[in-house]
Amino acid sequence: MTHHHRQIARTRLLLVFCLPWLVACAQVQPWERGNLAKPQMAIDPQPMQSTLSSHVHNSREGTASGGAGEGGGCGCY
Amino acid sequence: MAATSKRTSRPQISRILAWLLSRLDGIPAGRFASQKNAGRSLTALTIAALALPGMTPRQSGAVEDDGVDFQYSRYREGDRDMYRYHFGEGYVYKLPNKLEPIEVDGLHAKARLRLSDRFKLKFNFIQDTWSGASPIGSAPVISGGGNGPTYAEDGTTITGASPLASLPMYGDLAVDRDGNFYEYQTDPNTGQRIIGARNNRHTHVMSSASPETRKQGDFKLTYEWNEAALDVGAGTSTERDYRSQFFNLGGRLDFNQKLTTFNWGLSYTSSETKAKLDPDALPFIATDLYDKSLCFSDGTLIPMQPTVPTGYVEGNCVDDGQGQFVRTEATLRGKRQDRGIELGLTQVLNKNALLTLGLGYTRSTGYMANPYKVVFGHTVVFNVNNDDDPIGQTNLYGNTGSSALVEVRPEKRELFDWHLGYKRYVESLDAALHLDYHYAHDDWGIRAHTLEGKWVQPFGTGWTVTPRLRYYSQSQADFYATAIFEMTRYNFDASGAFVDTTSLRKFPKHYSSDQRLSGYGTLGAGFSLSKRFARGVTAEAGYDYYTHKGSLKLGGGGEDDFADFHYWVANAAIKVDLDAVGGSRGDPQPQQHDAHSQHQHSSAPAGVMFDHALGKAGEFMLGYRYMRSTQGGGLLFGSNSVNVDTVRQAGCESQECAVTPRAMSMNMHMLDLMYAPKDWLTLTLMPQWVDMSMSMTPNPNVQLSGAHGAHSTGHRHETGGMGDTGIYAIAKLLDKPGHHLNLALGATIPTGDVDIRLRKTLTTPVYDQRIHYGMQLGSGTWDLQPSLTYTGEAGRLSWGAQLTGTARMEKRNDSGFAFGDIFQSSVWGGVRWTPWLTGTLRGVYTTQGRLRGRYPASEEIDIYTGELFVPEHLGPFDFPSNYGGKFVDIGVGLNATLGGAWRGSNLKLEWLQPVREKVNGYQQERESTWVFSWNMQF
Repeated sequence: MTHHHRQIARTRLLLVFCLPWLVACAQVQPWERGNLAKPQMAIDPQPMQSTLSSHVHNSREGTASGGAGEGGGCGCY
Repeated sequence: MAATSKRTSRPQISRILAWLLSRLDGIPAGRFASQKNAGRSLTALTIAALALPGMTPRQSGAVEDDGVDFQYSRYREGDRDMYRYHFGEGYVYKLPNKLEPIEVDGLHAKARLRLSDRFKLKFNFIQDTWSGASPIGSAPVISGGGNGPTYAEDGTTITGASPLASLPMYGDLAVDRDGNFYEYQTDPNTGQRIIGARNNRHTHVMSSASPETRKQGDFKLTYEWNEAALDVGAGTSTERDYRSQFFNLGGRLDFNQKLTTFNWGLSYTSSETKAKLDPDALPFIATDLYDKSLCFSDGTLIPMQPTVPTGYVEGNCVDDGQGQFVRTEATLRGKRQDRGIELGLTQVLNKNALLTLGLGYTRSTGYMANPYKVVFGHTVVFNVNNDDDPIGQTNLYGNTGSSALVEVRPEKRELFDWHLGYKRYVESLDAALHLDYHYAHDDWGIRAHTLEGKWVQPFGTGWTVTPRLRYYSQSQADFYATAIFEMTRYNFDASGAFVDTTSLRKFPKHYSSDQRLSGYGTLGAGFSLSKRFARGVTAEAGYDYYTHKGSLKLGGGGEDDFADFHYWVANAAIKVDLDAVGGSRGDPQPQQHDAHSQHQHSSAPAGVMFDHALGKAGEFMLGYRYMRSTQGGGLLFGSNSVNVDTVRQAGCESQECAVTPRAMSMNMHMLDLMYAPKDWLTLTLMPQWVDMSMSMTPNPNVQLSGAHGAHSTGHRHETGGMGDTGIYAIAKLLDKPGHHLNLALGATIPTGDVDIRLRKTLTTPVYDQRIHYGMQLGSGTWDLQPSLTYTGEAGRLSWGAQLTGTARMEKRNDSGFAFGDIFQSSVWGGVRWTPWLTGTLRGVYTTQGRLRGRYPASEEIDIYTGELFVPEHLGPFDFPSNYGGKFVDIGVGLNATLGGAWRGSNLKLEWLQPVREKVNGYQQERESTWVFSWNMQF
């Protein structure tokens, strides 16, 4: 593959990856993001509660990653 | 609030806006039409809008505002079902389960601080104390259940010791070649035993544990650029049998005008298991594959090479008192490493919706088993000539049977977790819908789906209600089994003479009966309720209920219903957003000014409470106090040192002590919520959480009944959870410049547990031995607590004195005792070295009466004596006369007044050292006490 071809391929890949996002989102201007910035739209509206829930799920369910770098202990009961 | 807003501080934002407005004002209408200028204005406006707080989506990974959060949580399981087989009539029935189920009391404190404009630090402290009974394995019901607890005829009393993992209880089992179990029946005509109906029902084998505490501390440091962030974090988690250290590195990259955010994370965790296997269960469980040594009855200890590559068991070999050497202690050790990668993409879809995609990969190696879980392995022998006869029998030759094998899991695991999240703002209701789906799969054969939805509904007055639903379903791990088999066929020739054997099935390489690895589904529902107060304080409470059932597994085929259970989790939190608090604290003042503001800014040491009342009606204060005190070293009788033999002989009333104290530590976390309804009156609510740990030295001369008189070279007991809750009213009797006199009247509500019991063991064969009085979490009585405090200051000097008392308002608590009344007096002085730092010196005199009453006598039967149970496993701390005394302590302390976002808050630290002690009866010497406190007024 020539350098030119590689560049085209790279551009295509970039387009394929980015296009849906760009098309879907280009219209949202910064001053239109008031709703997205509301507390109820936070990625995690109750972080303490979620820490607790994931600790409970991790110690009771089989797919606990256990070592996601966040501690959590053995849960050996 | 979005982290992005932090990059430009408020004055800068206002400057940009002012500049923009002035530009707009000054622009002639005609020039507005200019394409070039319009474009420039738009760009400027865009930049300004991006810089405004709350104008960008709340990206994951973003650091929240400066603040402190505090959460208390409680987890509790419902009773596990236990079954038994009625041999006479051949039916399965449910046993009354009187074991306390698993219960976890948790504490979580979080602090977030901005070190500079771009550096942020987050710190977490998590602590949980758990206790109760959990399944250690599952046994066929027709084997007799393998369970220790046996019930008296009336079905009300447990008389057996748990756990007993031996099988079978009522003779042999019949098993076919596919691993199905069959009941034995008696032929009514011949009176011979015949094989009856197939019965694969299993039941839990339960084991209960005394309380244990885990503590975790971790931090994350974040550096933020305009469109990126990098964070590095580390932490450690410690509990009696497990330690882990973890490290993580991650980042965030915003692009496409912050419509797209890319997150990444790398993590490494190193953990070590060091589990002391239940000494009572040791004779009944097989650790063969892990054994590093073998104990022969003549006392020889032969080194072994463990078959399992990831863990090993080290055991002792001691004389059991009858000339036989046995293993009475064994510790399972193993190490594990986890390496993880996380990738995430958050995309703004439109002005009301966000989409999140994520992938997590974790590679784990090493010892990943649960050291306390066993799998019942059944050795089956088929000795019939006729190959068509499917039934074999265990125990046909004396050396075969069933045993409880410590579980073995693979030494490697790769787990993938795919995540799809969608959040939508619903304009008409001002609410948000959050939907999340996870698909996780690993090379252990588990495939799991999680579907979660929540609806975040704010109401006008600062209230937010969040109902939520969650469904989780997983398929079982390849090596999960309720029972495993080893099958051999004995071959005979035509004349009936034995020829040889053929192995039909071997135990698998890996096996676990842990229901976390079984096929099941969990359905959960819950809600959170929060209220944001005007000054940046938010109170939150939540409750979730989960039901775990084999039949809820997606597509069916889950574990049988014997393993079904339910649990609930409740939490209550208080969160302080310091930036919001700062906004309400008016104009910034010089830092020094704070120390002299109109409210009483206390210069009393950290260990003094009630010295401080709020200045004006409507004011609010939040405080946190941590106290750690330790006992250790020598033993005392009155004020004299005594040796351990004296204490063993005389410290336990008429009997000889089985244990004596070696060291004890107590940690207390206290929240201080103050509110002033009037200028002269302050109301205070003080919930507290305590955890205690005590190690003991056993007395080698005491031979306890049961099999394990000499069973241990060390003992440690732990308790933890919510303590008593204080409510007080503080009135200012005198409030003149330089002199203040406060009277506090209040009481503690007995919210702390006073009925914590030690687990059943062979030395404590009934579940009726309450833990040492001093290790219960509260007093159990309503206690009146008045105090009178005088404080004064002049120039750089400050001083004070306090009288305080605790009077028990009830004669006995529900557990039959009451702690002695307390009287305490303190005198202190302080010097302000710099405008923000004060040093203090304090003298404290405390006197506390003896404990009144005692635990009631047990009403349960001791299986060894056949009489009512009388605890033998006692130390001086189990006797009322060894409580209370007179103590003199000297304390040195530092008080600091903080600035910046933490302006208006005080940090205090005090170290107290005993100088004179005169204890009642026999007690251990006290060591030091550390008190740390933080409070903030707004």
